[in-house]
Amino acid sequence: MTTEARAVTADELILDARGITKRFGGFVALNNVDLAVRPGERVGLIGPNGSGKSTLTNCLCGALKTDGGSIAFAGRAIDDLSSYQRARLGLGRSFQLPRPFHSLTLLDNLRIPLVYAVNARGGAHLTEQQIRTRSSDLLGEFGLGGKLHRLPGDLTQVEMRKLELARAMASDPTLLVSDEALAGLSHSEVDEILALLLALNTRGVAVIFIEHIMRAVMAFSERLAVLVAGEKIADGTPKEVIADERVIGAYLGQ
Amino acid sequence: MSNGRFITLACLVGIALVAASTFVTNEYYVFAAYFVLQYVVLATAWNILGGYVGYVNFGTTAFLAIGLYSAAALNKWLDLPIPVLILIAGLLCGAVGLAMGYLTIRLRGVYFTIATLALSVVVQTFITNWDYVGGSRGLYVMRPTEVPVFGSYVAYLFFLMTVLAVAAVAIARVIERSTFGFGLAAIRDDETAAAASGVPVLRLKLIAAAISGALMGMTGAPLPFYLTYVEPTSSFSLAYTVNSVAMPLVGGTTSWLGPVIGAILLGTMQQAMTVLISSSVNLLVVGVLLVIFVIAAPNGILGLLRSMGGKKTDPETNPLAAMLVTEKRSSQ
Repeated sequence: MTTEARAVTADELILDARGITKRFGGFVALNNVDLAVRPGERVGLIGPNGSGKSTLTNCLCGALKTDGGSIAFAGRAIDDLSSYQRARLGLGRSFQLPRPFHSLTLLDNLRIPLVYAVNARGGAHLTEQQIRTRSSDLLGEFGLGGKLHRLPGDLTQVEMRKLELARAMASDPTLLVSDEALAGLSHSEVDEILALLLALNTRGVAVIFIEHIMRAVMAFSERLAVLVAGEKIADGTPKEVIADERVIGAYLGQ
Repeated sequence: MSNGRFITLACLVGIALVAASTFVTNEYYVFAAYFVLQYVVLATAWNILGGYVGYVNFGTTAFLAIGLYSAAALNKWLDLPIPVLILIAGLLCGAVGLAMGYLTIRLRGVYFTIATLALSVVVQTFITNWDYVGGSRGLYVMRPTEVPVFGSYVAYLFFLMTVLAVAAVAIARVIERSTFGFGLAAIRDDETAAAASGVPVLRLKLIAAAISGALMGMTGAPLPFYLTYVEPTSSFSLAYTVNSVAMPLVGGTTSWLGPVIGAILLGTMQQAMTVLISSSVNLLVVGVLLVIFVIAAPNGILGLLRSMGGKKTDPETNPLAAMLVTEKRSSQ
């Protein structure tokens, strides 16, 4: 595999997306959107429903081809790489609606990224024993240690979110795009997942945090970007952004 | 059980089958057993793409007939020994599987299935118009009455089909427990999530399509010598396609054992019905069973046994049902 990313220093960007444009027929879902993320940074991405957040996620992670612009990850152009190659480079994602491998046990759900992303990345090759240890440790960290051999169908809603995050983390990403990991959760469950995300971040994983729950976004993000109707209308510290008139207008109506 | 042990055990079962066949005096039973073993290979081959990856292939006859006719043609031209013909048919059908996969596997659900059905029609049209193998008139295949070591030719064919069946089941089982097999299961469950976890989705699907096609083609290669007369209508019989889909679904699609159970059960039943009732009720019964299982026991006999054993019901892995759900989802 030649998809190994070179080491990134702190002053370089881990993600540098410029002028991302995506059209579905005549509808412009993303118009010339820039998004840059530094290593280890926590970037919140907000916007009303249909503003293009999930489309942007899909474009960044390779599930959708862009119609314009360029994406660099860890200093290398990834526009021509498919989804699995981006995952192997260290660009992880979790889905808005959890998409577990429902016929595999929790342990085996994590085995997939361990063998297909981590082991395919080159460098140290995980042995069978290491794969088992690493997946059960990771599931333990996410509070799923008691259900290693269960199927995802046995999990509750919040456990499913945890599995989704644990699987994304198993690929050992340097940037995690978390698409609405908190949607539909209760107040205390939100705090629980938020704490997990913060813990991941303290290990050096940069996070793009797409969310509707403003309390969580404000608590989590160091920087906030706002998408409205496919365009980025603001990008700055959370305080600056929520004071921005265009943002207030977009959310409350002029 | 480790792969090594499993393969040894499968070989022992194969040897026992061949040994038992030498004690059978009525050749009909060897013919019937050949028929069942042929379906063990076809069902197992189908399941590698249909069960493990969830791509419902209705083109079994295309692969079988390519194997069959390539063997018949090469036999007429060069008079090669059957094991060589089997290998050539395998390579040829592996390549066809790869090509078909490359052209169609980006299609999802029923669209893929329709494309595989179309492949059968294309191959049938081609062969019906291929004069060298007799076109629609058909072709007689001469076989010697005696072969060294085995004695009768039927015993020799039965031996070859047993080897193929053992090989197919061993391949399916090795795949199932391998990294490759886990990748296929991830694709079956969710292609987008699999890709996001680093699984090279297209590549794995193509490999599965090639292996599945190669095994189906290899099953076809000894068939002209079993039948001694080949012609397009019966070579492209719907029975092959329906059976190779129904057997894994009735047995259970997530394990190598499912297609084996399905093939033995439905294969034996069809042989018995052909003899006792009529050859035309075969497909009717298979069809009825298929419908019953899809509705009442979507995880097949294996799923039923597991739930009876107190295990929680498996998530739905029936590829036919999944295909329709995918359609629904993608149209939302």
